[in-house]
Amino acid sequence: MLQIEKVREGDVLILQLIGEVDASNSVLLDQSIQESLQPEITVVVIDGQELKYISSAGLGVFMSYVDDFFERGIHFSIFGLTQQVGEVFKILGLDRVIAIVPDKSTAIALRK
Amino acid sequence: MIKTNAIPIGKISLLLAILIWLALLLVDLIRIFGVINNLDSGISEEVTWGLEILFFFFTYFLYRHVFWKSKQVDFVTLLWRGASTGLFAAIAGLLTELIFFALGDSKIGKDPFLQTIFYHLNFAWSSIFLVSTALLWKHLILYQKTKKVVKQWQVFELSMLAALFFIFFNHNNFDYSFLFGLVILLVISILLSANLKWIPYLNFKEKWKTLLFLFLILLSATLLFYRILAYGNEERFQINLTDNLFLMALFGFVMVYGLFSFLVTLFNLPTSSVFEQKLTEALNFQKLSQSIQPEENEEQVLDILVNSCIGASFSDGAWIALNPTEQLKIQNPLRFIEPSTLTELTSLLPAEFQNWTLSPTNELQPYSIRLKHPSYKSALLVPLLVNKTLLAQIVLVKEVKEGFNKEMVNIIGTFARQASISVENHRLLNQAISSERYQEELKIAQRVQKALLPLQLDHPSSFDICAYSNTADEVGGDYYDTYQVDEHRFVLIIGDVSGKGTSAAFHMAQMKGVFQSLIQMGLGPADFMIKANSALSKCLERNHFITASIFELNTLSQQFRHARAGHIPTLRYSAQSHTAEFIAVDGLGLGIVRNQNYENHVQEVTGNYQAGDFLILLTDGILESRNDVGEQFGYTRLKELVEANPQMPPLQLQKAIIDSLHQFVGGDGMIDDDYSLVVVKFK
Repeated sequence: MLQIEKVREGDVLILQLIGEVDASNSVLLDQSIQESLQPEITVVVIDGQELKYISSAGLGVFMSYVDDFFERGIHFSIFGLTQQVGEVFKILGLDRVIAIVPDKSTAIALRK
Repeated sequence: MIKTNAIPIGKISLLLAILIWLALLLVDLIRIFGVINNLDSGISEEVTWGLEILFFFFTYFLYRHVFWKSKQVDFVTLLWRGASTGLFAAIAGLLTELIFFALGDSKIGKDPFLQTIFYHLNFAWSSIFLVSTALLWKHLILYQKTKKVVKQWQVFELSMLAALFFIFFNHNNFDYSFLFGLVILLVISILLSANLKWIPYLNFKEKWKTLLFLFLILLSATLLFYRILAYGNEERFQINLTDNLFLMALFGFVMVYGLFSFLVTLFNLPTSSVFEQKLTEALNFQKLSQSIQPEENEEQVLDILVNSCIGASFSDGAWIALNPTEQLKIQNPLRFIEPSTLTELTSLLPAEFQNWTLSPTNELQPYSIRLKHPSYKSALLVPLLVNKTLLAQIVLVKEVKEGFNKEMVNIIGTFARQASISVENHRLLNQAISSERYQEELKIAQRVQKALLPLQLDHPSSFDICAYSNTADEVGGDYYDTYQVDEHRFVLIIGDVSGKGTSAAFHMAQMKGVFQSLIQMGLGPADFMIKANSALSKCLERNHFITASIFELNTLSQQFRHARAGHIPTLRYSAQSHTAEFIAVDGLGLGIVRNQNYENHVQEVTGNYQAGDFLILLTDGILESRNDVGEQFGYTRLKELVEANPQMPPLQLQKAIIDSLHQFVGGDGMIDDDYSLVVVKFK
């Protein structure tokens, strides 16, 4: 089960992921990001505080946006990951290409 | 030899009836002979009555047999048989009278023997007609019988049986008891005459024929009745055969039921078209309900539907409009309408018809509208909804205003819904067939993929190795392989493609290709990862990546070189320290960074091993398997399990790990991911 809460704060888009991202609902996550990408957005932040589990398919979704965001000058970061989920990012090495930050303010501050 | 099971009841009854009639005639002739010659023949009246009863019995058996044989014959044919028998009896009676009238007062005309013979003949014909007609009525009364009607009929038959023997008590006197019996039997006849269920099933033409035949039967019965009354009033015969309760009651029954049938058929004539209409509707409905076979098509259903709708509404024209987005074609969409008229009419229809939008107001019931057209004044639009999309719309038009009443709209709505169900069933059936085909294809894919994993793992005498892989779906994205570089160098690899199922399986096949080709170039672990990343970056979809772990074992120096690309760290057990540790080395998954930068994201480590050491390569499916409270199997459980069983040979340890995993997930718990395991034990 995955629930995605979208919050717009000016040019900041915050997506809160609640539940689990697996092969079956990773498409939903992809759609959700795609839909919310208005041209004026410069910061995309994933709130992972309520993210219980993420499968490789879910990680693939984030990965596919890295280059895209980079080209468009969008700062992309993830904050609030649980230890378990954070570990998954770390093992894959995704923490090297996506900014994994401790909290929301750090995430938003990335743009400066 | 006479077969007991093939007694010709009909023939025996006919023969016996004829013999008994002859005996009856003979007895009467003897009696007349006695009277003429003033001799007492000594034959009592009871003998004649007995013979008469026997004659009735055998006639009854004969005709019961005839009706039993003609069960499948339709009502009109049966009525025609009754009418022809009646006409024959009546005409024969009239001819007899004519003959005697012609003979006049001549000697032969007054001859008592001749008169008696003709009297007996008339009696026989009349009896045959009455008995056969009564049995015909029985057949009609018991059409669609209920228990009650069968009971009524049994009561009537028993009463008639009693009437048959009544003559022995009453001695042919027309007294009160005779009248009483007759009234009772007539009342039962009237009660039975309410059973006329066969009439509505006749069509218009058959009803006219029925009326004619019933009229002929009634006419014949009346004529015969008058003749018998006339005989009864004459005193010239020695014994009266016809003045008995049974025959009179039979007349009554034949006349009463015949009259009721005649009147009811007559009054049913104007409504017969409605009944026929309902019958056609029921048949059409049945046609629509029979789910279409896979080889048949949806167009045929639409065809039946249009015809049924026209039939049910008496429309003057109709056409089917097919939704342009649906891949449907129909050979003849127009019914009684010219293509030019179609364009005129289409322009008069509401916007929702033209746009193929679902109007929430009409709730997908057929709805009628007025038309401002020189020839057509009203139209009924029938939407046909399949899987929530509008498949087709049927337009029925009439030359009169408000030509579609509520009943028509209801029945057409039912037709449309039934047709929708048929089309939906048809589609589901086709889906099921193609899904079965898809399953077959997957099985093939599964076999192909199994073949991609090595059956024999390269290994020298210095280490034992075993591997296990399980997929969540038919095919999966886990990969392991080995390669012998030279006499002392062996390469092991384990990989995991992101996602599951078919796409993962394809990428896994690519990974195998990449491994088998690059490893032959003699690349070290880190270099292999860099080249593999570059190769896979060109063929993986943007949101897919592969994690891998690679070891190069040198059995001579007992060293290993290792690189990890985002894969689960390998568990290494040291026999010397009795501890297991996950080998920590940085490395980014393959296909995440698709440029030269990847070089900065992969490292290589080297290490030594000793006899008794283990390497356990695994995929995340094992560590991420969860139990019913959502807890993951995790690193620690695996580590402890290996530390507890260092003496096990690889295959046994592998089995222990898998068993422990299943136990952890729980008996019915499904491991919803691909998982693989390679266990190496050094000697």
